[in-house]
Formats: sequence, C-alpha cells, structure tokens
Amino acid sequence: MRRPKLRHIGAALPRKEDLRFLTGHGRYVEDIEIPGALHACFVRSPYPHAKIKSIKTDESRKLEGVVAVYTGKDLAQWTTPLRMAPPIEGLHPVEMTTLPIDKVRFHGDPVACVIATSRYLAEDAAERVEVDYEPLPAVANLEQALLENAVKVDASLPSNLVSIQRFKTGDPEARKREAFKVIESAFHQGRMTHLPIETRGLAAVWDEGRQHLTVHIGNQVPHPYRSQVAARMRLSESQVTIASPDVGGGFGQKIALYREELTVCAASRQLKRPVRWREDRMENLMAASHAREDSVRTRAAVTKEGRLLGLELEILEDFGAYCFYPANYLARVVAMILTGPYKLRDYAFEVKVALTNKCGNGPMRAPMAITSWVIEGTMDAIARELGLDPLEVRRLNMVETRELPYTMPTGEVIADITPRETLEAAVKAIDYAGFRKRQAAARKEGRHLGLGLCSVVESTTYGSKFYKAAGIPGSGHEAAWLRIEPSGAVNASVGLGATGQGYETAFAQVVADGLGVEPSQVRMQMGNTDVAPYGMGSRGARGGTAGGTAIFLAAREANEKVLAIAAQMLGFDSAEGLHLVDGRVEREILGERVKTDLTLAQVARTAYLDPTALPKGMAPGLDFSKTYDPPPMTYSNAAHACEVELDAETGALKILRYVVAEDCGTVLNPFVVEGQQHGAIAMGLSGALLEHMRYDEHGNNITGSLADYLVATSTDLPGFEVIPMHTPSRGNPVGIKGMAEGGVMGAIGVIACAVNDALSPFGVVADRQPLSPDYLRSLLRQT
Amino acid sequence: MLEFELTVNGERYPVRAEPRKLLCDVLREDCRLTGTHVGCEHGVCGACTVLVDGKPSRACLIYAVQMQGHELTTIEAVAKEGKLSPLQQALHEVHGLQCGFCTAGIVMTFEAYLKENPRPSEAEVREVLSGNLCRCTGYHNIVKAIIRVANEGRDAKA
Repeated sequence: MRRPKLRHIGAALPRKEDLRFLTGHGRYVEDIEIPGALHACFVRSPYPHAKIKSIKTDESRKLEGVVAVYTGKDLAQWTTPLRMAPPIEGLHPVEMTTLPIDKVRFHGDPVACVIATSRYLAEDAAERVEVDYEPLPAVANLEQALLENAVKVDASLPSNLVSIQRFKTGDPEARKREAFKVIESAFHQGRMTHLPIETRGLAAVWDEGRQHLTVHIGNQVPHPYRSQVAARMRLSESQVTIASPDVGGGFGQKIALYREELTVCAASRQLKRPVRWREDRMENLMAASHAREDSVRTRAAVTKEGRLLGLELEILEDFGAYCFYPANYLARVVAMILTGPYKLRDYAFEVKVALTNKCGNGPMRAPMAITSWVIEGTMDAIARELGLDPLEVRRLNMVETRELPYTMPTGEVIADITPRETLEAAVKAIDYAGFRKRQAAARKEGRHLGLGLCSVVESTTYGSKFYKAAGIPGSGHEAAWLRIEPSGAVNASVGLGATGQGYETAFAQVVADGLGVEPSQVRMQMGNTDVAPYGMGSRGARGGTAGGTAIFLAAREANEKVLAIAAQMLGFDSAEGLHLVDGRVEREILGERVKTDLTLAQVARTAYLDPTALPKGMAPGLDFSKTYDPPPMTYSNAAHACEVELDAETGALKILRYVVAEDCGTVLNPFVVEGQQHGAIAMGLSGALLEHMRYDEHGNNITGSLADYLVATSTDLPGFEVIPMHTPSRGNPVGIKGMAEGGVMGAIGVIACAVNDALSPFGVVADRQPLSPDYLRSLLRQT
Repeated sequence: MLEFELTVNGERYPVRAEPRKLLCDVLREDCRLTGTHVGCEHGVCGACTVLVDGKPSRACLIYAVQMQGHELTTIEAVAKEGKLSPLQQALHEVHGLQCGFCTAGIVMTFEAYLKENPRPSEAEVREVLSGNLCRCTGYHNIVKAIIRVANEGRDAKA
C-alpha cells in the first residue's frame, strides 16, 4: 500500500478530550441522569467460605422505598450461568451462577441484591437482609490450597489446582549437568487490585415496548461485553446496547461481565424500570477483581562467564475463588515470553494456578507484569553468584541486532526490536560507570545506594493466530469505519473502549494522515455498540497497533475514493498525481505540488447529492468499513534504569532517579505515549513498593479501605526521564508497535534490582514484593 | 427530609434532602453539578474536593445540611466564560490528565493553594498533591503543569 507522508501522526497535539474533563463536563456513568431510576445495593458475605442455609428478606422488604430483594435463586431463573471451558489442555472447566445459591466463596461474595428508590435506602435495607450461614474452613493461601486434603473452593473440581501446564524444549536437564553452576532464584508478587478512581457502576434501562436493554457502563470492551450480556440474559445481540461514556480508569478491571452488573440488568428487565448501581470503595477493594499474587522460581544453568545455557521456570498463581477468565490466561503468557531479549534454546516451564477463598483474579495492566522482574532478577542472581558485573551478564546474553528476528524457545518470534540500543542508552543516561564510584563513596558514609537495570520486551498486540495457538477463544482483530458526511465533516469509529488513552485525539491524527484532512476535522465516535463496529475492545496494549491500523486502512480507502471522484470533477482520466491535503485536493506536476480549487466538501457533496456526476459505475456516498487482524504478536521494547537510596535503619526507600529508554515504533501522539509510559511506571512502582491486598490466615480480607490498601501518591514517586528511541515496525502499514503495559513490567523489575543492589553489602536478597519498609527491615535484621 | 438552601458558585439552590445526605451527593444529584466526582467516600482519594469558603474540603466527609450559610465553589465555576483558568490551561498543554476522573479534585485543590502559595517548590507541590490520588498519570505531568503556572505567575509579576 502507498503510505502517505505523515504530517499529523507523531505531532504533540494536546488532547481533544481534555476540555470537558477540565471543566467538569465529562460524562461518566454516574453523571448520566435517568429519571425514575432505582438503586441497587448488594448484601455481601462476611465469611470467606460458608454454606448459605437460608436468606430471609421480609424485614428488608418492609422498609420504605424498597422495591425488591433478589437472591441467587431468583437470578438463576432469569439468567444463565457463566461457563468457562476453553479447550486448553490441563485447564479444568468451571461454572458460576449469577449470584451464589448454595455457598459463598470469599469475604465480600454477593448473596442478595436490594433494589430501592435511593442508594441510601437500598443500603439501609441491605442491612436488614438476614442470611443464615454455616461457616466452612477457608483456603486462605496457596499453601493451604495445595494440601493433600485441602477443602475445595469449587466442589466440582478434583482439587484446587484448576490449571496446570508444562512445556519443555531442548534438554534443560542436560544443560544443568553441563553447567558451571545452577542458580536458583525466587520471586513473590503480592495480591493487588486495579483501583480505578471511578469504581464499577452501571445503569440498566429495560425498554418493555421495544424489548430492548440499554446498559450505560464504563467498559473497555463494549462489543464482547454486549455478547456476554445478551447471552446470559437470553436476549439476542440486537436487543442489547452497551453505551460506554467517559470512563474513570479501567486498567483491566472493566472488561468482564461481573455478577453484580448482570444482576442489575436482570432486575431492570424484571421490574421494567431503570436500575443503577455504583459500588463503594470497600466493595471495589474487596470484591471487584484482584490481580497478580504469583510465586515464581527459576533455575538457570550457566557457564563460568555467566552465559545462560538452560532455564527452568515454575509459576504458582493464586487465582482467587472464581474464574472470570480462563485460569491459565495470565500466568501462561509470563512463561511464553519470559526470556524477552535474551538468547536461550533449552527451556522448560510449569505453570500451576490454584483457587483460594479470595476475590477472583483478572488481568491488571500488564497481566504478565512479573516477567521482566523474573528474567532480570535471574540475570542479577547470575552476576551475584559468579561475582560478575550485572550489566556484563546482560550484554553477554542479549540477542544481537543481526540475529533478529529471533525465535524464543517457546516459538515466539521477536522482530523489529532494539533491546541493545535501549539498554545502552539507559546505561549511559544514568551514568552506570560513575554510579559505582558514587556508590562506593556513599557506602563509606553509611549510605546505601542501589542501581537497577531492567530490559523489557512487551507483548503488546495479540493477533488471532496467537489466540488460536493458545487455545483461547476470541480474536485479535479490530474494526473501524469512517464516514465523510455530505458537508465534508469526518466521523470515524473503532471498536475500542477509551479509559483515558486519548483515542479521540490520537486516532483523529491517524485519520488525518490516512485521509488527508486536519485532525480538528475528525470526530471519533466510540463506546456505543449501536454506533461503533464490533471490535475486540481495549485490553493489553492493542489500541494503537490493532485499532490505529484498522482506522488507517479505512482512511486510505476513503482517500482513494475521494481522489477518484476528484479526478472526474477536475476532468482527469485518473487520480494519478492527486493528493488530499488538509481537506483540499492538490495535484503533483513534475514533483511540484499545485493546489486546485477542489475541496473535500465539494467532493462529498457530489458523492451524496449528485451521484450521476460520479465516475461510471461508482456507488454514491462516502462510507467505509475495515477490519484488521494484526500479526500473531507485536513486540515493543524498553530499558529501565533506576537509582535508589535505602535507609538501613528504617527500611525506607527513596527513588533518586528513574530513566526509561523506549522503542514503541511509530508514535501517534508523543503526549499520549509519554503519559502512558509515566502511568505504567507509576502503577508498577506503586505495586512493587506499597500495594498489598491482604487476607488473614482465616481468609478475612483486612484491606477494605484506602487507609489499608496503599497506593502511590505524588510524594512516593519520582519524576521520570523518558528517552524516546522509536523505530517503526515492519509488521503493519503505520509502523506502530504499541505500548502502555511495558512500563509496569520494567518498574517492577528495575526497583527490585536496584533494592538488591543496595542490599548487596548485607548479604541478603529481597525476593518479595511489596518492598515495604517492614519487609526490608526484616531482611536487614537477619544480618 | 429537610429543606434548606445552598450557595454554590454564587447561585442559590433550594435543596430537599435527608440530613445524612453527603455534600458530594447533593451537589451531584440535587444541584446537578456532576463535575465533582466521588472516588472513595472516606476522605482519602480527594476526587470530590470542592472549596468551602475558598478552602479545599472533601465533599464526601461533609453533610450537605452543614453547608448552609457557606460559599461553595465547584469545578464548574473555574473556567470563566469558556476560558480555562491558567491551571486548567497548563494541565491541558502538558497532558496533566488522562481519564479525567480525579482532575476536578486536583484543580480545586490547587486553585486554592496557588492563591495562598503562588511560588511553591516542586517538593511543596508534591506534598500538597499527595492528598489527591491519580491512577493514570504517575503525577509527573500534573506536577509539571502546576510548576509551570507558578512560574508563569512569577514571570508576569517580574
């Protein structure tokens, strides 16, 4: 395909979205006024694991303003259960009803739903619902989950081990025997939650006359979500509209159809009235969706020089009580892409996922977040054990540019990435050599500096071929349409769900270049399933590559038709040498561009209102639809470097400098890309330093407020130094590689490496996150 | 139910609400000023920050009925006649917001703070900003925007 000169892609354009957000005129789901709407409140289990013996709702129903109280038995009549049974070897199928009927599985599990005329009254009435529970012993952690005679979280399964997958290529056992040394490392990542500042919530509006359900909900994947709602409500997809307005952050939490949301939809249909729900922060912390909580081990067989000969990986993940996703979905990707930029042939992994009596897990920004920590921490362990420089160990093992494309031991192919270039840039920027001198001098004064390095190879965009190979149902394609209206106004859409990524601006820039207009002329219409095309939505870091390319292809097709009409209108035989630039037709004569009098508006008017003047056989109108299925996998890369100071007396950490050199291909809008980088690093650091969703030994959640679940504030985080080193991908016509999760991966890894560098004089290794002061002090006390 | 009057952004709003109804809910539902967002309802996240007699306050920790006789200011009153305030403009120009949900609380906090402390250091800005949680930006560009406004103020006076 002929690629136009990029004039708008890559421009630092302040966002179109900002004005409404800055002035208080955004429209988040709770801002949508719906006359006569009722309010839902959920009754939740105070026990981690218990049989439901009976639920009495009479006292609750008597209260003023209460319209209905529903339980699991009611919902079972109106909705179908969620069955999670993709044909993946080693993964057990599971099923859950819309609300629990026989037993609750975690502290916060919803057991009943009160519908009342106000949120206040619904909360009052929820307190009057009497549930008779018979408490059961709870599975509070992985250790308990995997005991021989463990209590089963899901009685339908043979054990709590819901998924196990093994893989081996080459002969890692033989490499261990030949090795100079086999080095073991461990990595434990705590349980976290996404914590969008806007909690979950929705307004379901059943139209009895049209037999149609409209769901206003902040959601990342409006169309797949509609498919879920329709199927589980036993409606056709033409009877459901998902209208996702402005969304106050998602980070992976706003993908699945949650049980509360389905309950509210069913209640609206049952009552023939609008019903809305906004969860409070305690519910969001305890019962929305959790993430991570992995225990990982590596065994690296190495030469004396630190060259990696073979690698074994074990992952054990605590998935919580319910599977809103296939249980292997998150951890397996870690195993697939673990080696990142490092060369390896002999590799084996075992990925086990177990159920426990905790809130169910889901993908959180960078579901594979632990990957970079594990491989870079392994590199550091090699350096530490062999007395080598950690930078030299990385240089020794890293793939050379001339060796690309390189096939990882799992068969994943990395191409068009620049790990050596970004690593060297980060090393230079942070002054690695000079740092060692400062570190030595500081140690003499009793100050403990540490420097970490972390290379990231980010799997951003999963094509359909990847899903097929992984046995995961679904597709990786994206869809777009573009319409030039009779006035020349340009509307366009993609099937993504914005949660702050600035799509309205960045994609307007893509359309601007693809079509030949100004970005200000383009309006992106997104988030409503009646308007947008069926796309796979926003997850991973696919928006740029999958969505950006789809809309670019639609714009190119539009450009072709516009110029064909223009040629006819100008009296030329062909469109050869014609260009549309900022909405005006230009003609290229002997390499010179000459403006014509013809504008896009005139072409559009002809296309719609004077079709007989169109080239012979051409259909009227300017309406274009395109889908795009990206390659199996698109990778981008970065190198993070970070300097910390550890207070050995208190265990407190201070981040002195944070540098990231990044290559994410063609940048649509540098503001957006840098903002995503900052945000991803912040989420990574916040998780690595502070965030910890805690349960006591009996399975009670003890992190029900933001005073207990700590997230990073502005005083916890440093300023970020970003070095852009973007080189275009050859995998798609715009050269996009995608980004926005790699920052999390890099931050988690680099901070751990830096802390262990600071800890090195003490002879202890931090292998657990969060790296809280009390944890670091506990390590130092051992010395 | 109580009947009372609130003064918000210089306008009077007659309100009929339970005494337990929070200021944030009354502003959003009764006054239909939905620019004030509710993020945690326990005073930590700062998203609902409004000005009470010019001072930043958590609208989720105040009952609306307590606000009789006070001057309330919300995000809707910050831009004048469609023109962004210097702080709003700076946030726009340096990409100091992403999903936008926490933005109103941050703007209200710093509209007040910068009036009293027009020339803060970065450390001071970060200290004050630590009362507002943002999950998207990592704070970097918010800090940059506030410092830029402070510097512009300095230049204008110089």
